[in-house]
Amino acid sequence: MSEDELYSPRNPWFSISVGVTAAIAVLSAIVGLIWLPLLQPDLKLSGIWDAICSAAGVPNLPRPAAAVPPTFKTSNVVVTPEMLTRQDQVSIGRGATLAQRCAICHGPQGVSDANSPNLAGQYAAVTYKELNDFKTGARVNVVMSPFAANMTDQDMRDVALYYAYLPRVPSSQLNPGLPPPAIVVTGAPLRNIPPCGSCHGEIDIKAGSPWLGGQSAVYIKAQLQAFAAGTRRNDISEQMRNIARQMTAEEIDQVARYYEAQP
Amino acid sequence: MTSETDHSHDEHGLGEAVAARIERRWATLSVVIICVLVGLAAFFGIYHATMPQGRVETADPTTLHLSGEFVESNLGSALEADGSVTVRAIGQQYSFTPQCLVVPAETPITIRATSADVVHGFLIEGTNINTMLVPGYVSDLPIRFNAPGEHVMPCQEFCGIGHQGMWGKVKVVDQTAFRNMAASKRRLTCVD
Ligand SMILES: [Cu+2]
Repeated sequence: MSEDELYSPRNPWFSISVGVTAAIAVLSAIVGLIWLPLLQPDLKLSGIWDAICSAAGVPNLPRPAAAVPPTFKTSNVVVTPEMLTRQDQVSIGRGATLAQRCAICHGPQGVSDANSPNLAGQYAAVTYKELNDFKTGARVNVVMSPFAANMTDQDMRDVALYYAYLPRVPSSQLNPGLPPPAIVVTGAPLRNIPPCGSCHGEIDIKAGSPWLGGQSAVYIKAQLQAFAAGTRRNDISEQMRNIARQMTAEEIDQVARYYEAQP
Repeated sequence: MTSETDHSHDEHGLGEAVAARIERRWATLSVVIICVLVGLAAFFGIYHATMPQGRVETADPTTLHLSGEFVESNLGSALEADGSVTVRAIGQQYSFTPQCLVVPAETPITIRATSADVVHGFLIEGTNINTMLVPGYVSDLPIRFNAPGEHVMPCQEFCGIGHQGMWGKVKVVDQTAFRNMAASKRRLTCVD
């Protein structure tokens, strides 16, 4: 049998198999694109064309439902993994000048014993986000809020990049041999507590989560308690409140003391 | 004695007939298999709740907290005018917000959820709710709980190194208790 005869409508095998395949395709299309969608009353389809579009996956804009507005200020920072990850010498230089006024509490090298957070070597996205939240009022602190209020967006980026550029300095409580508590290593999965390091940088980094090593235990404890009590609410969509709320007072203590002793 | 050519010609004719018969049978069988599969999909699509979502809806994962229906204050369960309940939730590394969903029993419920970062899994133990939360898209699921009780809600799609710690909860309460709660608050959760 030559090629011509094989692919010709005169060959009954060819015409029948093509016909059957086409019939199945048409039937399936009618069932999947028209009949099944129209059987779903929830979809509230306006007609056959609407049924075909919805079944084919044409995106619909979410229906405008009246959202309950927030009763408090939430963070308006859009955090992405790429955010402020590029070094910029000009920015760092400007940041160094701006950071002079931060030195009273945060130390001339971004480290202090005043129980205010150490900023040297902190991820730039973190410092930038917190400054922004202080400025908008999503996070409130009597000392920090007035400082942030007068900073421009560029100021905050510069300061954040400057502190990210400074080398980390261990705290006076440094003790790398301290065994990590279970809550740090494994978390408590059934209580929705993942290992701290899965976001805070030791294992993986979730953008916007601070490096905790060398922070004052007093500061870490105060922040965890504030998250748990809901007095600090600038974590986007409750990402830290969900976890802090599930921790026991003892676990909060252990975490604070452990991280203070880390580099 | 017949010649060898005749003999081989007979064999050839016989072989062709056998091949044609076998081919016809296999062709019939494969068409039947396809029809059964299409029929099965249609049957389960109509008579069981295993239908894929009918409409595709989008939501920008990076700005969920800024505006729209997934802002923090709008998450949780809302009692609608028609008596049904809409539950809005998001998945993020590594928790669901709200962490605990509260819903009434014997009430039509619509769950609307999305992801703020990567793909998460949304599964409610003891029900047929099991879907993915894909960043950029809204998952919309109808559900009905028959009796009060508690269900765990683990993330069932590997979403990162802290995935195993991503567990939520669903608390089903009776209708009156839910209505009482809804009288004083517009969005309900069972987060303590
Ligand atoms: Cu997940």
